[in-house]
Parts: sequence; structure tokens; C-alpha cells
Amino acid sequence: MSDHHDHDHDHGHKPAPMVDEVSHFEILEMAVRELAIEKGLFTAEDHRTWVEYVHTLGPTPAARLVAKAWLDPEYKKLCEADGVEASKAVGVNWGTSPPTQFGTPSDYCNLRVLVDTPTVKHVVVCSLCSCYPRPILGQSPEWYRTPNYRRRLVRWPRQVLTEFGLQLPSEVTIRVADSNQKTRYIVMPVRPEGTEGWTEDQLTEIVTRDCLIGVAVPKPGITTNVKLPVRKAIHPVHHDH
Amino acid sequence: MSKPHYDREHHAKIASGIGDPQCFRGKAGEAKFKEGERVRIRDLPDIFYTRTMLYTRGAVGTVTKLVYESPAAEDEAFGNEDHPEWFYSVVFMQKDLWPEYSDTYANDTLETEFPERYLERA
Repeated sequence: MSDHHDHDHDHGHKPAPMVDEVSHFEILEMAVRELAIEKGLFTAEDHRTWVEYVHTLGPTPAARLVAKAWLDPEYKKLCEADGVEASKAVGVNWGTSPPTQFGTPSDYCNLRVLVDTPTVKHVVVCSLCSCYPRPILGQSPEWYRTPNYRRRLVRWPRQVLTEFGLQLPSEVTIRVADSNQKTRYIVMPVRPEGTEGWTEDQLTEIVTRDCLIGVAVPKPGITTNVKLPVRKAIHPVHHDH
Repeated sequence: MSKPHYDREHHAKIASGIGDPQCFRGKAGEAKFKEGERVRIRDLPDIFYTRTMLYTRGAVGTVTKLVYESPAAEDEAFGNEDHPEWFYSVVFMQKDLWPEYSDTYANDTLETEFPERYLERA
């Protein structure tokens, strides 16, 4: 596991890869992108605009949505009934915010907020590939896209959650949400004890990305995600970060 | 033979400012199933593409929600938007998906979505 000097890779620049090697998919992306630009499907300028937009995304709006809902029962009802409408209160308009003005083929405008109770814990996966509510949660962590997580979470959710440090008693029922069609999910965890009288800003800080995927629960004082070990590559490459 | 013409802006034209799946709202007609109904997932043949996971095929679950209207991914993948249909969120007992799932956690569940064509009354 990482030591205390390991700075948080989730903000500002590229997350540390689980396997420190250029993947076939990264090479494929570069090749297809260059061909698309040459063919005139989009310009290098379009691509830059898109990349810049993508880099502005992160989990903060979703964390604020949860904090607001903890403080305002009416807003919580709206979150449950219409996640897309509720997102507007935290500055995310699913219909129009990306540069394309209609989302992307994978960011459908259909957010469902899964509300935990003391006896039901939700956790999200896309067993097909990598569906993730990017407009409100940013880019998915690498482990979310790995076959390991995707194959095992649907079948052995308790074992996988335990690997993340979340061991749930048998009285708590787990509900896995497999994001296979056009709905994207975030989890609204139960507000933890010890946060009585906290402000929206204080509450927002403890709702981490992991809590919003459902592999962790918020705790006072914990504001960072679980660090998973990085496996050493056989043929390592140097990243520019 | 002439070169086929693809309208690459088709999706942008129908979904801009409205959103997808909102742009298909009202186009699927009457829904065949309702909330609370027991349904079995059909094992339809895949023609190159599907988003209906093998582990759900043949399993029986309960409709929790009619979620939206949209062409099925199996059609949309080939640019066919002629037949939008209702989509359903269905919840399964984990025990019904994985026979070896532990009895200690017999109430654990899994929820996921299906286009109408994959459902039949159970």
C-alpha cells in the first residue's frame, strides 16, 4: 500500500495507472484520433476543446448533491425522482453542458440517484465496459474499468467491497446496480454519525468519489479515496507527470 | 454502386438541447409491463451486438421502474431508430442469478435494465 507521502493523484493530473504500461487501447485511441482528424471528421481544435472540457469534470458536483440532499428533505425527494433535474442545482446540465450540446454517445441524460438506507447499500458497476456518470462524477477510476472489478462485483459483491475495506453486516442488504443501458447511477450514502450541525461544505468534503460509486461509506475526517496497490510493469514506461 | 450516405449529424440533430433518451419520449406506444410485475429475461439470439448480459438470461425478476423510451441498443448500434421501445429496470435476487450465492446473504439483490423485447411474463 502507499505511504503517507504519496500525494493524491485524483486531482489536477493523470491518475496513477494500476499497470504502469501503455495499453493497446491508448495506442488505438491515438491512431483512430489521428485518422479521424486527417479524414476531417473533427479538427484538432475540436479535440482540444473536448479534452479541456473533460479535464474540468470531477466528483465535486455529485458530492454537493448528496450533501444538499442530507440537509434538505425536499431536495432529496427531487434527487430520487429526477436526477437530471436535481443536477442543475449543483451546476450540471446533462442536456447542454458538454461542448457538443447533446452529451456524448456514452453520457446519456439519464441520472438515477440510488438512495441508501441503514439496511440497503447500493454499489454501481458497468459489467459490459465502463458506463459512468461523467458529467457529474468526472472520469472513472482505472479499477472501475478493469475486468476484475466488473466481472466480480455482480457475483461476489461482498468479497469485492471487503477488498475496498467495506465489510457489511448480514442485516445490510446489498443492491448492485449494473449500468448496462442508458441510465447512469450515483449512490447517496447514509449521512454518518458525528456530522450533526455540519454545513453543506463540510459534508461535501467527506462524500468521496468512492462513496458515490458505493465502494465506501462516508466517515467524518476521511476525505480521500481508497488507494489500491499499483502492480509493477514488466516493461515500464515513463509518464510525463 | 453508389457510395452509401451516412448522416453523421443525425444524432446531434435529434438530441441537441433535449438529450438522449429524452428525444425518444412518447415514441414507444403503450408499455407492455408495469411496475411490480414478475418477468423472465428471454434468451434472444445476438446479431453481432447486445447489451443484455448472459447472466440475466432465463432469470426471473421484478420490474421496479419504467425508465425511458429508446431504440434497443441492438438496433441503435446499426443506426436503426425505427422502433423505440420501453425500457424497464428489473431487480433480481442474487440467489436467482448465482445458485451458489450464500444463504447468509439471501436478501442481496441486483438491478439492471432491459428493452421490452427481452421480457416475458413469468
